[in-house]
Amino acid sequence: MEFDPGLFIGLFARTFTFWWVILPAIFLGLIVGAIPGFSAANTIIILLPLTLAMDPEVGLIFMVALYASSRMGAGIPAILVNIPGTAGAAATPLDGYPMTKQGRGQQALAISFVSSVFGGLLATVITLLAMPWLSQVAYYLFSVEMIVVMLFGISLIATIAARDTLKGLIAGFFGLMIGYIGADVVYETPRGTFGFLELYDKVPLIPALVGLFAVSEAFAVIENQSILSERGKAAMQKAGWSETLEGVRIALSKWWHITWTSLIGLVIGVVPGAGAAIAAFVAYQQSRTFSKTPELYGTGHVEGLIAPESANNGVTSGTLVPLLVIGIPGGATAAIMLVVLQYHGVTMGPDLFMESPELAYGPFAAMAVTYFIMIFTILPLARYMSQITVVSTIYMSPIIISFTLVGAFVPRQYMFDMYLALVFGVIGYIARKTGYHTAAILIGVILGPLLETYFLRALKMSEGDLMVIFSSTLANVLWVALAASLVLPYLIQRRRRLRRGQEAAAGGTTE
Amino acid sequence: MTDHDEAEKPERKSLGGDLILPIGAFLFTLYYFYTIIDVPRIAQISAFFVGTILIFLLVILAVRIGKEVKAGTADLRLGPLVEPHSFIPTRLALFGLTLGFIFFIEWLGFTIIVFLFLVLAMLLLSKGQNKGMIFGVAGVLAIGGYLLFIVAFSTRFPAGPFEQLMEKLF
Repeated sequence: MEFDPGLFIGLFARTFTFWWVILPAIFLGLIVGAIPGFSAANTIIILLPLTLAMDPEVGLIFMVALYASSRMGAGIPAILVNIPGTAGAAATPLDGYPMTKQGRGQQALAISFVSSVFGGLLATVITLLAMPWLSQVAYYLFSVEMIVVMLFGISLIATIAARDTLKGLIAGFFGLMIGYIGADVVYETPRGTFGFLELYDKVPLIPALVGLFAVSEAFAVIENQSILSERGKAAMQKAGWSETLEGVRIALSKWWHITWTSLIGLVIGVVPGAGAAIAAFVAYQQSRTFSKTPELYGTGHVEGLIAPESANNGVTSGTLVPLLVIGIPGGATAAIMLVVLQYHGVTMGPDLFMESPELAYGPFAAMAVTYFIMIFTILPLARYMSQITVVSTIYMSPIIISFTLVGAFVPRQYMFDMYLALVFGVIGYIARKTGYHTAAILIGVILGPLLETYFLRALKMSEGDLMVIFSSTLANVLWVALAASLVLPYLIQRRRRLRRGQEAAAGGTTE
Repeated sequence: MTDHDEAEKPERKSLGGDLILPIGAFLFTLYYFYTIIDVPRIAQISAFFVGTILIFLLVILAVRIGKEVKAGTADLRLGPLVEPHSFIPTRLALFGLTLGFIFFIEWLGFTIIVFLFLVLAMLLLSKGQNKGMIFGVAGVLAIGGYLLFIVAFSTRFPAGPFEQLMEKLF
């Protein structure tokens, strides 16, 4: 796995010749990413007959392009109508949607596209160069360490919902309890299912996402004629191409922010099972912690939009690392890619890099080329996409309810899942109206089953001793970091308040 | 007390709505604990760990709200949850339509139920105005949805009379 510039140049040149596969995959990915329920994984499954019939290299390029573009597509409805297309975009509306409400939807889309493309591109290039070292990350994280990583995810909620940390934590832990519903992985005992067989296999994520974000939002927005504020409407009427260009300029001026938040995504993506949702929230929280203006986060702050978008695109190449290097898929889409490649007789692992470097490095070249083509194809569309926000809620609300509820049905094809989405809609509506964070509940639902699995594994190994969670040095370091992540923002905020108070007092004395 | 005094008195926060989700979370946690009574101890530990932290957080919230109510700065009205009151009937009607949408989709199929739901919900929200526009938008979206999801993506949405007719025709 040594660096060979000639190989990479040849690979990139060759990948560009597959533009005829990449282009349709990009548009398909953007559409399926933007519709809740239609993830890249589902679409690749639907299109399996097509990908299996393709040459392995072409099939892989198609899947990778669809995967990368769906990640970007998921951010579009998150920004415009507060409905993330996938869980990976759940942190995007935190600042993206307030920008839309202010009539800056077009600008927000441009910022999101540039952050996604450069974040994704950068992570892909770094992955190519650092593949041998990155692949080692997964080896150091066992059940005990993963428990802390999962709790880290929940601790982020406290800081994300900083207007009321306690409510943020309650929402997150309530989400975790919901995520615990179903049969446990070791003893297969059903718990908290209310007798519904459909819940034995855990709470499905798409109905939770649809209910908490889409249905609750649709019920909430009917109070107003438009999702835009009066000032936002005026700004939208004036908006022209310059808004897109301004968005590009703003995003490029924050190149360093894009860089480090996409690296967070890359590293988290390498850990199997962690995923884009965690990466986006971690990046958002870190961005706010180190910001000079943390109080602006959640109000339509540019950096609050850049962080999750570049991080969740950084994850995309990260999830492919364990797949290609050790044959462990980092997420659902990577798992399906594994199935397709195994069908073609391709064996993952170190040998792949020696025997078929075009297949081993090919996905990253395909991803880089996809991101490169995407910036030219999607950026001009920002102006037209943002027009959706001027549609009256009289039309918008019923459309959101009907189409997203059907989206909840798609993954498992149970009628029950639509009712479940409605129940989550009620929970989400109450949460919105009373100041509990819907994103906090969702991340709890995502992390619940993972946390429980790692807990069970750790406890099995220690024969039920709970102190096992403090048994590893790395885990203990992570515990300290977790505690610091909860306490530091509070201390920094307190220090800032004190300083402002002192400055105000000094100003008063001078006067 | 004069009108002037009333005006100067700070408005009390309505925190009753803030308790609804925590009460639901508390009851669900107790129910969850009940369902794991008979499972092996190892399988109980993580649920008790998370559930106990949740209950601890709920107690802190209850104490915080209790203090505010006692101090007279808050009361237990539902406040923002039900405001503005004028929208409660519309919202309940929309909820009823949504339940109907899910209930009837099995028999009527995706295209017909989407059309009916869109027409009824849009008429409800527009208070019966723009009927022509509403029927047009609903028709285009229902047919567009059918073409995109069922024809193009081959998604197995619930099929009804319309989908069956189309399948026979094409």
